Amino acid sequence: MRITATVKLLAIGSAAMLALSGCASSNNGGDMLQSLGDNEKTVSLLGWPGYAEDGSTDPAYDWVTPFEKESGCNVTFKPYGTSDEAITLFKTGDYDAIAASGDATLRLIAAGDVQPLNTALIPNYAGVYEFLKNRDFNTVDGKTYGVPHGYGANLLMYNTDVVKPAPTSWSVVFDGASAYKGKVTAYDSPIYIADAALYLMKHNTDLGITNPYALDETQLAAAVTLLKAQKENVGEYWSDYLKSIQSFTTGDSVVGTTWQVIKNYTPAEAHVEAILPSEGATGWSDSWMISSKAKSPNCAYAWLNYIDSPKANAAATEYFGEAPATPDACQYGSADFCATYNAGDTEFEKQIWYWTTPIEKCLDGRTDVKCTDYAAWTQAWLEIKG
Amino acid sequence: MATSTPAISLKGLSKSFGKIAAVKDLNLDIGAGEFFSMLGPSGSGKTTVLRMIAGFELPTAGTVELNGEDVTQLAPFDRDVNTVFQDYALFGHMSVFENVEYGLRVRKISKAERKRKVMEALDTVRLADLADRRPSQLSGGQRQRIALARAIVVEPKVLLLDEPLGALDLKLREQMQIELKQLQRQLAITFVFVTHDQEEALTLSDRIAVFNNGKIEQLGTPQDLYERPKSEFVAGFVGTSNIFTEKESTALFGKKGRFALRPEKVTVSEKKKTGSISGIIAEVIYLGSFTRLIIDVSGIHIKATVPTDVFHRDQTVQINMSAADLVAL
Amino acid sequence: MKSNSGARVVAKVEPTLAHRISTKLYSKPKLRLQLLLSAPVTWLGLVYIAALLALLVTAFFTVDSFTGNLTPGFSLENFASLFTNSLYSTVTFRTIGIALAVTVVDVLLALPIAFYMAKVASPRARGVLVISILMPLWASYLVKAYAWRSLLSNVGIFAWLLRPIGLDTPGYSLLGAGITLGYLWLPYVILPIYASLEKVPSNLLEASSDLGAKTWPTLRRIVFPLILPGIVAGSIFSFSLTLGDYITINIVGGANQMLGNLVYSNVGVANNLPMAAAIALVPVLIMFGYLSAVRRTGALDNL
Repeated sequence: MRITATVKLLAIGSAAMLALSGCASSNNGGDMLQSLGDNEKTVSLLGWPGYAEDGSTDPAYDWVTPFEKESGCNVTFKPYGTSDEAITLFKTGDYDAIAASGDATLRLIAAGDVQPLNTALIPNYAGVYEFLKNRDFNTVDGKTYGVPHGYGANLLMYNTDVVKPAPTSWSVVFDGASAYKGKVTAYDSPIYIADAALYLMKHNTDLGITNPYALDETQLAAAVTLLKAQKENVGEYWSDYLKSIQSFTTGDSVVGTTWQVIKNYTPAEAHVEAILPSEGATGWSDSWMISSKAKSPNCAYAWLNYIDSPKANAAATEYFGEAPATPDACQYGSADFCATYNAGDTEFEKQIWYWTTPIEKCLDGRTDVKCTDYAAWTQAWLEIKG
Repeated sequence: MATSTPAISLKGLSKSFGKIAAVKDLNLDIGAGEFFSMLGPSGSGKTTVLRMIAGFELPTAGTVELNGEDVTQLAPFDRDVNTVFQDYALFGHMSVFENVEYGLRVRKISKAERKRKVMEALDTVRLADLADRRPSQLSGGQRQRIALARAIVVEPKVLLLDEPLGALDLKLREQMQIELKQLQRQLAITFVFVTHDQEEALTLSDRIAVFNNGKIEQLGTPQDLYERPKSEFVAGFVGTSNIFTEKESTALFGKKGRFALRPEKVTVSEKKKTGSISGIIAEVIYLGSFTRLIIDVSGIHIKATVPTDVFHRDQTVQINMSAADLVAL
Repeated sequence: MKSNSGARVVAKVEPTLAHRISTKLYSKPKLRLQLLLSAPVTWLGLVYIAALLALLVTAFFTVDSFTGNLTPGFSLENFASLFTNSLYSTVTFRTIGIALAVTVVDVLLALPIAFYMAKVASPRARGVLVISILMPLWASYLVKAYAWRSLLSNVGIFAWLLRPIGLDTPGYSLLGAGITLGYLWLPYVILPIYASLEKVPSNLLEASSDLGAKTWPTLRRIVFPLILPGIVAGSIFSFSLTLGDYITINIVGGANQMLGNLVYSNVGVANNLPMAAAIALVPVLIMFGYLSAVRRTGALDNL
């Protein structure tokens, strides 16, 4: 085991060094394309599992083959498990496009790994929900770097047999968590600090948090204290959604943060319910972005346009379990598809704080202080887990 | 032996390994101070009997008594006997001194006393100067003597020796035989000696039990066994014998029955004598101090021992055999 | 061969190239050895040693915290935080504690099993036992860890067995992880102990008993010194494998983390390869110390 770990480290190390030598010169990702040429023969994509299905997992789910026929671009797709793994892989320069969550996009933009997009070359972009456009996780200095794939919230799931009365607030996993000691679960990532920050934003207004992704030192310390107290009651953290489904099914977890897709796949006899608590929730809106070193930029543009077409977008987002990026997709999924994921529900959407990479320059507009960046959050997260 | 309580008394002793009966209903008394040998081919059950006396095997039936006390169910560490193993079983991670000391140590004897007794035992086997060595640094004969010292240092009433000389070369074996005999006389304890070497058994023993197929074929003094074997097996196993079938006895002596005749009782000469019959030498086997002839007498092969090598193959000779020397089987 | 003067025909045949090379090599044993060893030595040198050296060198690099790009150079920053940040010492001591506990429990479990296999069981039963101990090694590590996840769960067999007597399943906790790790490495501990016990001649045990030693003195004075190298060899496996583990603790360890998780988090989550390399050197150093300590027992000959 030590050997594999070492080889892996070495591989990643040399990959990182390659990436370093490759991208040292450009820092803004270059200029955007003004017009498209002929499609290349292949396109290489990186995304969350289930974002580009070609029927090999289940023949019933295939939205890649129609694209290949239509565009002549042969697709190779590599799924990743966490945002951080995505960044490491994308830095190798082997991928033309990536579907990245908000906690990764800014890092890719800042490192010059992705190029600004000419949305005029993506006709289907016009049909995308307006509230997903020009957000701080896909747009920098007025330049659009990503087109939306779909979005969802990090909901609160609980076991209706055990957790009584039915919770309406995140307090059940923070201040009130000791009632379910050892059975509380939380998402295993530094970005989960934002969930605590959101809670503090609503319940501890003295701290002055206005954006859970813009925390100064004091605010981060408060969030860390809250999470350390929570840890005493956490049974386990999850990053693999199958592991979370299993814990809720066996009753090892009874309350904690979840995704709609987990709720959907947890057996009915496990008696779980998922709600959007009164404080609102963190969430994610994933963006397709094109590599600044793309070998097949025309095919990549074609894919970005295709994935926002109503039919393909419906297929991809319903398969993964999230709301589509375009209202027109609702005609294509199953009958209650858009209702299940609250697609287009602006009241619901307004309460979602989409994952955004925390950076030194405060995202809430403060200029008098420096905010804590993602590296600080990572270090804090390791200490919380202890 | 006679009147006093026997050192070892085996009664109705049987041992089976699965379906194979290794020892069958054995009854045997061994007297105090006796040098007793159990002789037989491998698989005859002699080692199994020894191991039952030591306590390494539990009998399937019957009892083992030591000095009149029933020890059948006792563990080896509760029996007043000690064993010298065939391959010595010395403790490789201990020095010679520690090996010999072991039995005293587990008996919780004081350190000074231990040292005195160990050096005494090592003196007895004349190896006191090698006390600090490891067994792996010693020769076969030296290891053999360490094994002896280790067994006698705890002063057992009975010493069990399982083919102790089997791994030694001929010269060393003969020397060790003498030492064993002297040691037994010096210690005046009972030795039970297991061997498949009939010559060794004849040389050393007061009495010998010849084992075959899990049973004692014959029990007696070396002389008894050699002169008066009771069965064809004993006659064949102890020394060399001519064994005559009924047909052959009738042809040669006009006597009915099966008989054994020692080769040295056959006289061979070139000239005809009274009662001699002629035969042709089929084989001449030179054995150093004497020569063995195999003589073909009209199809019957007769072994004869002669002192010199004056005879040669294919020579016609005259042989004399006395019916009085025949041993009925 | 058709010819009736076969021997002469053979002599005239031109030797093949392979034949000539063989002949040449036959007379040059040194060259032969060099050719034989060149491939494995290259592998060992480049892939194995170089990988370790790369690990060591990387530990002195730093990472641009925002873009995640690697900055080569020489910085002791990583090692400094390794010593100053209490997180790392806490996790290091927790990891060593688990590794020691798993090792001690495994050795205590392995001793009687190995003794039964080597000295008591019939040859037939011994074969069956060896196979049944090796069998779990054929199953994937992950499958076994997930199997333990369901055994330890709220509705698993531990809860079912222990609740009626007022206890409860250890659940997903350090204890749960310890039990699972103990299960995973047990075969690696049994096998070297079994092998060393098998090498202890039975007649040594008989001799000891014959000389008056009861069971315990025999085990302590004869068996234990002879199988100590095997025990140490087994402990090297369980100790080092536990030290490097990060998957089991993730699956059944609940909210706890070990050194391996810190390495994994620094590579995967924090994208901080240099820090990961610095942390990875901790178990390397611990094992280096342990191995040099046990080298003198002769245990390394038993691996």
